Amino acid sequence: MHQENIHNYLRSYFLANDCHILQEKPGLLNVQLTIELDKELMNRPFYWHYLEKTGGTPRPMNLTLITNQNVEENGEFVHFGAPRLHQIFSSTKKLASSIRLYEEVQTSFQQQYPLHPWLGLNIKISYQCDRKKHRLLSLGLHLVSGAVVDDFHNLLLKKALTPKIPDYAFTVTPIIKPASGLKRLEGVVEMLLAKEDVQWAEEAQMRWASDQHLLDQFYLGNTNDQRYEVEKEALRKQYEPTITAEIINGGIFHLVPGIESQPYPT
Amino acid sequence: MRTELQFSQEWTNHFLKQIDEDGPWANWELFKLAIEAEHHRAIPSFTGLQAPSHLPHLTPHPYQLEAARRVVEEMNGKAILADEVGLGKTIEAGLIIKEYMIRGLVKKVLILVPASLVSQWAIELNTKFYIPAVVQRKSYVWDQCDVVVSSIDTAKREPHRSIVYEQQYDMVIIDEAHRLKNSRTKNYEFVQHLPKKFCLLLTATPVQNRLDEVFNLVSLLKPGHLGSFENFEKDYKSKEKNPEDEERLRSLIKKVMVRNRREDTGMEWPERIVRTVPITFSPEEEDLYRSVEALKKEPISTRSQFSIITLLREICSSREAAYMTLKKMLEKETLDEVTQTFIHSLIKKIESVPTNSKAEKALELIQSIEGKVIIFTEYRATQLYLQWFLKEHGITSVPFRGGFKRGKKDWMRELFKNHAKVLIATEAGGEGINLQFCQHVINYDLPWNPMRIEQRIGRIHRLGQEGDVHIYNFATKHTVEEHILTLLYEKIQLFESVIGQLDEILTRLGMRDIEKHISDILLHSESEGEIRIKMDNMKELINYQKEDSNASRKYS
Repeated sequence: MHQENIHNYLRSYFLANDCHILQEKPGLLNVQLTIELDKELMNRPFYWHYLEKTGGTPRPMNLTLITNQNVEENGEFVHFGAPRLHQIFSSTKKLASSIRLYEEVQTSFQQQYPLHPWLGLNIKISYQCDRKKHRLLSLGLHLVSGAVVDDFHNLLLKKALTPKIPDYAFTVTPIIKPASGLKRLEGVVEMLLAKEDVQWAEEAQMRWASDQHLLDQFYLGNTNDQRYEVEKEALRKQYEPTITAEIINGGIFHLVPGIESQPYPT
Repeated sequence: MRTELQFSQEWTNHFLKQIDEDGPWANWELFKLAIEAEHHRAIPSFTGLQAPSHLPHLTPHPYQLEAARRVVEEMNGKAILADEVGLGKTIEAGLIIKEYMIRGLVKKVLILVPASLVSQWAIELNTKFYIPAVVQRKSYVWDQCDVVVSSIDTAKREPHRSIVYEQQYDMVIIDEAHRLKNSRTKNYEFVQHLPKKFCLLLTATPVQNRLDEVFNLVSLLKPGHLGSFENFEKDYKSKEKNPEDEERLRSLIKKVMVRNRREDTGMEWPERIVRTVPITFSPEEEDLYRSVEALKKEPISTRSQFSIITLLREICSSREAAYMTLKKMLEKETLDEVTQTFIHSLIKKIESVPTNSKAEKALELIQSIEGKVIIFTEYRATQLYLQWFLKEHGITSVPFRGGFKRGKKDWMRELFKNHAKVLIATEAGGEGINLQFCQHVINYDLPWNPMRIEQRIGRIHRLGQEGDVHIYNFATKHTVEEHILTLLYEKIQLFESVIGQLDEILTRLGMRDIEKHISDILLHSESEGEIRIKMDNMKELINYQKEDSNASRKYS
């Protein structure tokens, strides 16, 4: 992640959280935090607790973040490894967990138009043994026809979306309920994974078996030894291949019909 | 075989509740940012290192990055990091911990280090690696902090021990791990019972003297890698040396060990300038020394009461050191009269020694040096004496010992850095403090184990040292010291040669216990001439092996 990206990310994050930017220049961002964001980021529960008890005037902090080391001003240097950035990443995820949006269309003659409901999920898959990697998926499920599209998030980025239903739009009632929609998408993820190469897991199993074999030799069948049990369990934790899916975020999207006719080949 | 998918339900339940309650819904900008953040955080591949991109302030050396990569990709996160002293094993360990933390494979880390290094480790992990390591000072730290630095002596004691065993550590790091070479110690047993999902053992002297020490270290890391104890004994110890077995053993060890040597790093290192400083005894000192030496000719009943070699070495260091040993002997109840009389006569001789020739030489040298100086001695009594002696001559010095509490060690180091000219360290204090701001080392008396001298020099000849390093070896003429110096440090050219190489040679020769060999030669030779011949034989043997290993290196 480049320093400019980090700068832009931070600016968007604070603006999206209704903070006022006091000063901005290349490599520097000075932000007046809102009360909510002060509580979210500054880790001073005692102050807020005290204030609420005494009824004083809240004074949320202002934060100066430096994204270019050559800027000679006081502030916190934020780079890709900085704990602050990862705190803000986590905060973003927490604050943006689920959403509902409507597509807005410019219509002439005040014409009414229908919007179809979609369930969209952004999913992070973790493949773990003694190593680890991720795969990100963005899936959309058409809650009328059951069609599934891949790369759903990129599709949404091309649209004008709004949190309130536009004046001339009307929504079509879903045939698939959200709860069963979620189950369907889980099924889709499973099916996608079934098509993947499993060599990594097989190799991990082999490494595991090999170390387990050495361990057995070392204790020469004396498996009652407590140390043997400890080591054996540690080997399982080290090597056992697991795949987990975690939903980053998702929501209900009411969109102009059309996309479901180019569904993802399932 | 297919790996089953675990689908986290946490989000799902929350989402369904929000649908029921019609909100609150997130803001579209934030929603997009959350996905952007995940794209940055996601790790696309099992291989490669993520850590460097998280550490813009750190510029690891290529060999350090390679070490980290090998540990993760080839050793599955269990390794002995055995770089020579001063090459930055801590940096390698930090990179590896960071890598696993970024990948989400490690959350809880237990770092066991000598007491003197606890705060240094915590500071380095926090400042260089943004790893929130906490020094274990209160017992709640075990539960509440993910990355804990502690001394092994604290951790192994109750009530800590039980709490430590209750934690689910993902990674265990042990610094100065050569201290765990003996499998019968409490420390060894303690570590053996720790679950080690990922584990790093750090040591600069992996094969100190004996093969079974390597066995113990490797077995701690990866039990069975070198077979069971019984088989190991059978294959490598009892039999005649079989080159194929040795080769097999070495290649097995290589699979779990990273060992960088200065010469392999491809970097420019400051020079080591070694000088021998000969000392001449005063007549009184000479007399004292010869009286002890003469004990060798006494009947066994008298002779065996004394550890002659120890006394001779002590006399070469300071009369105080010898006095302490004699005084301790007198406290023994079983002493016969002849011995007692002899001890008393020796003490009389000690009392009549007016000056310490070596200390005077040291003073002269220190006064001629502009920068800071470290003096290493093996004896506590010498340390105290030198401190007093230097003070008499207006030179401030700071003592340093292994037994100091960690806070005191840090403080002494700072005192030396900012306020004193000289640091006087005993052997045990040498380990694990970094003194690269100093360029002069006086080996006031020489350890007989070459690895220990390397540990000493490594304190200052390490990453961050900008000037050349000067080493002054003190040796009293016509004494045991001269033999040692001639053998180890001049004829084998220990200082110039690569320490790892000597270590290998000694192992192959089966002379892992070089101290004992030398003692035997000195004690059981009839004359100076005999000593010289035996030492020469030893030298020839070692040098022969060295050329051999040089040659095989060239072709490998």
